[in-house]
This record gives sequence, C-alpha cells and structure tokens, in this order.
Amino acid sequence: MKGWTGYILRVNLTDKTWKKESFTEEFAQKWVGGRGFAAKILFDELKPGIDPLGPENKLVVALGPISGIPAPNTGKAVVAAKSPLTGFYGDGNLGTHVASQLRKAGYDALIVEGAAAKPTLLYIEDEKVEFQSAEEVWGKGTFVTNEWIYARHPKSTGVLNIGQAGENKVLYSVIRSMEGRAAGRPGIGAVMGSKLLKAIVVKGTKTIPQERAEEMKTIGIEGLKKARELDQKSGWSKQSTDAVLAWCNEVNGLPVQNMRKTTHPEAFKVDGERLNDARIATYGCPNCTMHCGITIEDKEGHESELDYENIGMLGPNVNVFDLKQVGSLNYLCDDYGLDTISAGSVLGFYADAIERGATTGDFKFGDAEKGKALLGQIARREGKVGNLLADGTLRMGKAWGKDSVNYAMQVKGLEMAAYNCKSIPGQALAFGVAPIGGHHREAWIITFELKHSTRESYGPEKAAKVIELQRIRGGLFELLVACRFPWVEVGYELENYPRFFNAVTGLNWTLEDFWKTADRAYAMIKLHYLREFPNATRKDDYPPAVWFDKANADTEGAQKGVVLDYGKYDSMLQHYYDQRGYDQRGIPTKELLAKLGIQKEAAEVEKYAKLS
Amino acid sequence: MKVTVKLIGPLIYEGGFSEKALTLPGPMTAGELSAYVKIDKKRPTIITRNGRAVANGDKIKDGDRVVISHIYSGG
Repeated sequence: MKGWTGYILRVNLTDKTWKKESFTEEFAQKWVGGRGFAAKILFDELKPGIDPLGPENKLVVALGPISGIPAPNTGKAVVAAKSPLTGFYGDGNLGTHVASQLRKAGYDALIVEGAAAKPTLLYIEDEKVEFQSAEEVWGKGTFVTNEWIYARHPKSTGVLNIGQAGENKVLYSVIRSMEGRAAGRPGIGAVMGSKLLKAIVVKGTKTIPQERAEEMKTIGIEGLKKARELDQKSGWSKQSTDAVLAWCNEVNGLPVQNMRKTTHPEAFKVDGERLNDARIATYGCPNCTMHCGITIEDKEGHESELDYENIGMLGPNVNVFDLKQVGSLNYLCDDYGLDTISAGSVLGFYADAIERGATTGDFKFGDAEKGKALLGQIARREGKVGNLLADGTLRMGKAWGKDSVNYAMQVKGLEMAAYNCKSIPGQALAFGVAPIGGHHREAWIITFELKHSTRESYGPEKAAKVIELQRIRGGLFELLVACRFPWVEVGYELENYPRFFNAVTGLNWTLEDFWKTADRAYAMIKLHYLREFPNATRKDDYPPAVWFDKANADTEGAQKGVVLDYGKYDSMLQHYYDQRGYDQRGIPTKELLAKLGIQKEAAEVEKYAKLS
Repeated sequence: MKVTVKLIGPLIYEGGFSEKALTLPGPMTAGELSAYVKIDKKRPTIITRNGRAVANGDKIKDGDRVVISHIYSGG
C-alpha cells in the first residue's frame, strides 16, 4: 500500500503505553485520511453519551495521502474528538509541521486515549514515544509554550499545544501550532486539556511512501510554482482574507453588533487596506504558496496575526473599529488558545444581552479594554461571568432565558463565522447544514448568490451549490489533507489534486471518486449526530431565529426590511435534503448509506435511533 | 454623470485608488466603467451598484455607488 504509511499510533496517557497499529488498504481507500479517518475512528471507538471532557473521549490527529508532501499548501493536519461544545463529532484543520513529521515518523494518524496524571508533553520520534513533564509550562500561554518547546527542538519539529483556555476546558478552546495557526473550533483544545496534555511534539526521520515519487516531486514543484504565480498575478495576498471585509460591508453581509447590523461607516478602519498598511510581517503554513497571516503591532506592542474571520468577529461584531485593539483581542485569544470566531460571538452576544436586559453587567459594545479583561476571565473560567462565557453562546442563552437564545449566533452550538446572512439565504443554509455546526469552511456561496443566482432566491440552485462546495471544501481538501486556498481564492485547478493523489497512491481516481468519499464522510458525521441526538429534527439545521425576525431587519440601505423567510428557508432546506438523499430530519436514508457502503455503521446507529 | 467608485482588495493596486467620485464622460455600463477605471477585462470581478450585484451590461446611473471587487470565496 503506497501513499499511506499504513499505520496509526495509539497512545494511552493513563497507563503511559503506546502501540503501532496497521490498517488495511480497504480502510485507506474508503476513508482516504484526515476527516474521513477521524470520523470513522471516533465512530467506532466512542460510545454515545460519553463525557467529551472525560478520559473516555479520544483525540485524533489525522493526515491524508498528500499531507506533508511538497505540493501546494499540503502542510495541514486534521484534529478531531467528540466536541464538548456541540456534543458530537467536531474537527478542524491547521497548518503545522506535524503534517510532514508524523508521516515521516511512520504514521497517518495519532489516537490519544485516557488522561495523564500530571501535565504532559507527548514526544514522538519514529518508534520512540515518551511521556515528558509539561508542568513547567502548565498555566502558560501558547506563545511561551511554543518558545519553550522550540528552545529544545529544531524549528522543523511538529508541535501542537494548548493555552490556558484548553487547560481550563473552555468549550471553544483550540489547538495551536506555530505562531498564528489554530484548529478545533468545537473545543478540541479542551479535550487536550481534559487529558492534561499540554503539547504534542513530533519528529520523523523516514521517507513518506509514494508509488511514483519522481512524478510526485515533478508535479508537486510545478504546482508550488503555479500556485505562487496565480497568487502574485491576482494580488490576493496583498490584503489576504481581510479584503472581503470591505466587500461584506458594501453588500450588507458584515457581522456588526452581534450581527444586529450588516454594515458600519467605520468598517474601513479595520479593512484589508488598513491591515496591509499596518503589516509588519507575513506568515504561512508549511508548503504554503499564498501566505494569509498578516501581522500587525497590537495596542500593547505584541505581534498579532490577523485574518478576516478574527477581525470580523473581534472587530465589527463587538463594534471595535480600532485595528490595534482588534489585534490585542486577537493576540489574547491566540495566547490563551481561544477560538477567535466563537470568542467574538460570545463578547457580542454578552453585550447584546446586557443591552436587552437578558442579563446584567458593565460590558458594552465597543469597549475593547473590558473585552480584553473578559477574555482573561473566560480563559481562566474566573468568576460567574467568566465561567458562563467560557461555555459558548448556546449555553449562555439557555442560562439567561428571556428568549436570548434566539440571538445566540450559533448552529448546533458552534458559533457562526463572520458573515451576517439575514438577507443572504444560501449562505444561511450553508451555515445551517455545515456538518459540525456553524462553520464557514464547508461551503461559502455568497458571490454565487449575488452573481449567478439572485440574492432573494431560495431555490434548488443554492442547495446544489452548497453541496458542490461541501464536497470540495469539506470533502476533498479535508480528506487529502490540504489547504483549499490555492483553488478557492486564486483558481489553482482542482484537477491537480487527483493527480497528486494518484501519483502517491498509484491509484487512478477522478474527482467523482472523491465526491463519493466526501459524501461518505459527511454521512458518517450525520450518523455521529443522530447517535448522540436520537430526537434530531430539521430545526437543528436552522440558523438563529433572529435572522428571521422582521424587527431585526436593516432599517436603511439595499436590504432594508429584508430578513430570512421561514417557509422559504424550509423549502430550500428540503431541496438540500432531496439532493443529498437525506430524510425529513436531514439524516441520510438507509438507501443512501447502503450506496455509500456504510451499512454496518447504520446498523450500529439503529441501536439508538431510527433510520428511514 | 457623477458616480462613486470603490475598488476592493487587489483591484485597489490595479486601479490606483480605493474610492473616488468620478464624473463620467458619458453613459456607461458596469463593464465599461470597470474598464474606464483600468481594471483588466480578463480579471473575473463582481460589480455591485448601490449594494446590488449587476451584470457587466447593466447601465450605470447618475449618483450610483459602484463597487468592483475580486471574486472572493470565503477563505
């Protein structure tokens, strides 16, 4: 079996044991890697109802056949576990040297079980696995932890670590790697923290097995050159992802004031142009061709790495329009290991709920200094407020009552990314049906809606576009594992990815083969959901009620008076289910599951819930 | 005819400005306006007029705010 190492490393922190386990070629081809491996492994090994923050939960780090191979943007790894935020499968991907180092160590995935008795650094070097003390950095932020690790290991070493937020089990804490890289929005950092696992350090000395290594080297280097050329030609990296902020502000899609508003006259102060002007350095992931991490000096003089999502949510969403202050909020999130999207949503929701009398407090929109203090309280779970805000917007809304949950900007418990979709139905659907909750990674169709459909449409073409993009973004790229940016932002051709896959594996797959595998991974995540929530309904695929509320419509501008329509949204959701082969609840039918070859998994789910 | 044109992202560096009020020499379509402000015709763009997407052939009117952007894909 070429293309995969054929091995998974299983580590148990409770009894400090480890073993190298092989997997079959059938498993490899069925699940490919990354999200596919993680979803399958966690489905097989976790019992429904377990405590996500207990030792029974497992952390999976999964790679794909092109992870770490020199080719466009392949320095990515998937991290996954049962999410403490959403209560079912959660994952994320991040740029890290772990992508190449774990594969060079001889593994396509790492499974971490149990829980350590003391703060631990898991050290992996080929067949050597050590459980080292991390007590010296327990209680420290991710930047200090990173420095501490890299003072002892070369810069090419793969590192995953958590900050105080993960240690204190904040439900939207992330795993970090290098400066500015983070993943695991649904609290995968808290899962590491619950295991007293401060860091994972990986070094490998072997060669990643490839069927046609020379061909891969040639097309990989060609690809790196081509993707760089495309970026330079388009000028995308000038402002990176933050260029979209000014556009969202123009088309009434910016998250302002807990997504109450869609545009703001001061938005230009935090837009891509200002970010580029303030740039002091640029960072990217391993094998990156279009570095998206632009750093600025924040209010306190730290170097803070920004992109659109964290600016949108920690800036306009909390009415902060001072780029240096946004940088400070972002720096703190990165250091504590908090997800910036959820943190911005939590702060916005808190200010909104105070304004509306759902709770009390002295935090107001626009108060960056108080926001910084709150982030510290959240990361430390300090006091009643810090402790509640550490649990995310859904739990905050449930605790406060007074219908505040209606403007908790989340889907399935996961806070939505920085796009205000009360007048953008297709993207609202994309958030609604994102398999792990309100994530933008799976599908983003706003320009399609405006340019190739009509904004007001709730038609089947939007459901089809969401599915098309889910197969590519949440499927192909999360399985292989690679960053989607070269394709999605500068037009590097999608057909290159099966070429890479075929060169390393010796197989002859087309994109169609990947779509089926992607559908299988999505169905698998839906089975996770149903097994945990046997009473799941289509309402679980709805965005927050406030997006349907006429009282929340824009009062001026092109989208004045427009909000989502319940009946039409439901009809568009049905288009999505019909095209996917899902039932009325949004669950794959038995017929579809059989077609995807996961009848065994379906039978397991039927012990807990009904399938149609 | 007076309009305001805003360029987004890399188009700022191509067109040489971020936002400005222009007096046009005569009637123009959205596509003609894009070429008038020196945006490469081969570059895929999305143009909005007063917050709503328009086709290249749609006419621009006096007082319009026209935004020309690189086509973003949500990161």
